[in-house]
Amino acid sequence: MALLEGRGLSMAFGGLLALRGVDIAVEEHQVVGLLGPNGAGKTTLFNILSGLLRPTAGEVWFGGRRVTNLAPWRLSGLGVGRTFQIARPFARSTVLDNVLVGITFRGRHRYGRALDRRHEAERLLATVGLADKAPARANELSLGERKRLELAMALSTRPTFLLLDELASGLSPKGREEVVRFYGRLKERGLTIFAIEHSFRILAHVADRLVVLDQGTIVAEGRPEQVLGSPRVVQAYLGEDDGP
Amino acid sequence: MGRPGRIGLGLVAAALVVLPPLTGFHPYYLYLVSTALLFGTVATSWNLLAYAGQISFGHAAFFGLGGYGAALASLAGLSPWLAIALGGGIGALGAAGIGLASARLRGAYLALATLAYAEIWRGVAHNWTTVSGGGEGLIGIPPLPTLGWLPLDFTRGRAGSYYLSLAFLVVVVAVFWGMLHSRLGLAFAAVREEEERASLLGVHPLPWKILAFALSGFFSALAGGLYVHMVGVVEPDLIFSRYFSILPLVMATFGGLHTLLGPAMAALGLYLVSELLLHPYVPAFHQLPYALALIVVVLYLPGGLSGLFTRKPRGAA
Repeated sequence: MALLEGRGLSMAFGGLLALRGVDIAVEEHQVVGLLGPNGAGKTTLFNILSGLLRPTAGEVWFGGRRVTNLAPWRLSGLGVGRTFQIARPFARSTVLDNVLVGITFRGRHRYGRALDRRHEAERLLATVGLADKAPARANELSLGERKRLELAMALSTRPTFLLLDELASGLSPKGREEVVRFYGRLKERGLTIFAIEHSFRILAHVADRLVVLDQGTIVAEGRPEQVLGSPRVVQAYLGEDDGP
Repeated sequence: MGRPGRIGLGLVAAALVVLPPLTGFHPYYLYLVSTALLFGTVATSWNLLAYAGQISFGHAAFFGLGGYGAALASLAGLSPWLAIALGGGIGALGAAGIGLASARLRGAYLALATLAYAEIWRGVAHNWTTVSGGGEGLIGIPPLPTLGWLPLDFTRGRAGSYYLSLAFLVVVVAVFWGMLHSRLGLAFAAVREEEERASLLGVHPLPWKILAFALSGFFSALAGGLYVHMVGVVEPDLIFSRYFSILPLVMATFGGLHTLLGPAMAALGLYLVSELLLHPYVPAFHQLPYALALIVVVLYLPGGLSGLFTRKPRGAA
């Protein structure tokens, strides 16, 4: 069963059509990769699916329920979590407080006792390898650490569905390997993941299915090995091949 | 400083603030210190709102609503003690109102909206003559009466308003402390730092913003209500003046934005220097400390005075 579905999603910013009737379905417990060149509409699609943008047309369904135009905090309460490509932590708050926000205000699984919330926050930070950074301010973290904090913040609401926006971008090869391992662990935990990634290698490793977006429409989808070899994808990324 | 040292210093400070009315301080100085304490209250409540990311240029609106509300209630025969509490409630409502109306505004736009809000109330007070007394305002507001269940020295003359202003400051600082150490502070900081992110983590920003406005408005209005009972009159141009909007902002940023005690300390320091040192000797320059404080903060001390005493985190903005 599709956990998340977008039906005929369109988004216009003035005269610019960022999405033109996108149909998308993400099956439960799957990892679906979303790729496409810059400006294809990937982040716009994520903004709609996480409730930050209202689509000009179309519907979003989550867990068999119509959730179009639902506020972000309601979607989060239903189990939708997301990360941002460029980390957006609570910059002047401590790393611990950054994950405590979701743990404290999420719609489900709330704790009455502050001590329980703190313990979960510490566990979560340990999961992403930031335990020793708990008292630091978020704006003191390195890029790699910020990416890990992004993931911890997204997980702090205990989502069942995760939108991951370029978790691996800007990381060292070692950091990328770590990201691949994270994907594996998230999948083991039963999460459903919709992920924007640019690295074909990572996608080939982790994704069950790939969707390619170009100029606001889906131009290819299928199993990774099918999609990554398709001429349509090569064309979207590299342009028309006029060579010999 | 060790723990005993800090406790000792705390006791000395407590004695210094509790004793003046009991030791025959001149009423005028009692009045000045009371006003300084009220500014400390307004600056701390301004800081509470700023902690939630909402920068106000219009705290005169809340101060004035409390002043007019309390004055009207007192003149209608209510005990001034109750009238001041009622004024606080009116200020909280008025603040929640502008919080709701400006829900989509941020930064400079919000600041302008709050500035305009205070000006609107000034206009209302000028023109709604039957209620507000128009430009002449209301006179004959009674001073705080003595309380029979307390030793007379605590509420006689200006002692009552002195201790009440001290109590307001202590309570608003305690509320700020409680906010810092509870989920309230967590939500305020999240809304301030990254509103969209907060909304994705289950925080509905609007109710928290309105709560911050209401709390801030409540304490500012309590201060306004007591102030009009100290001076005995209330006029639109006095109580809704930009003076009461800008000074709390200057005091809070000079003392240290988002810090517990900085704004109150700066309020006491700046106001007393201005009134006790400059006003008697160089009256034309008595507002100079505020201007200098603002310049110092902008150019040299982004963290305010509190920034001098705390470790500067690496890379912190």
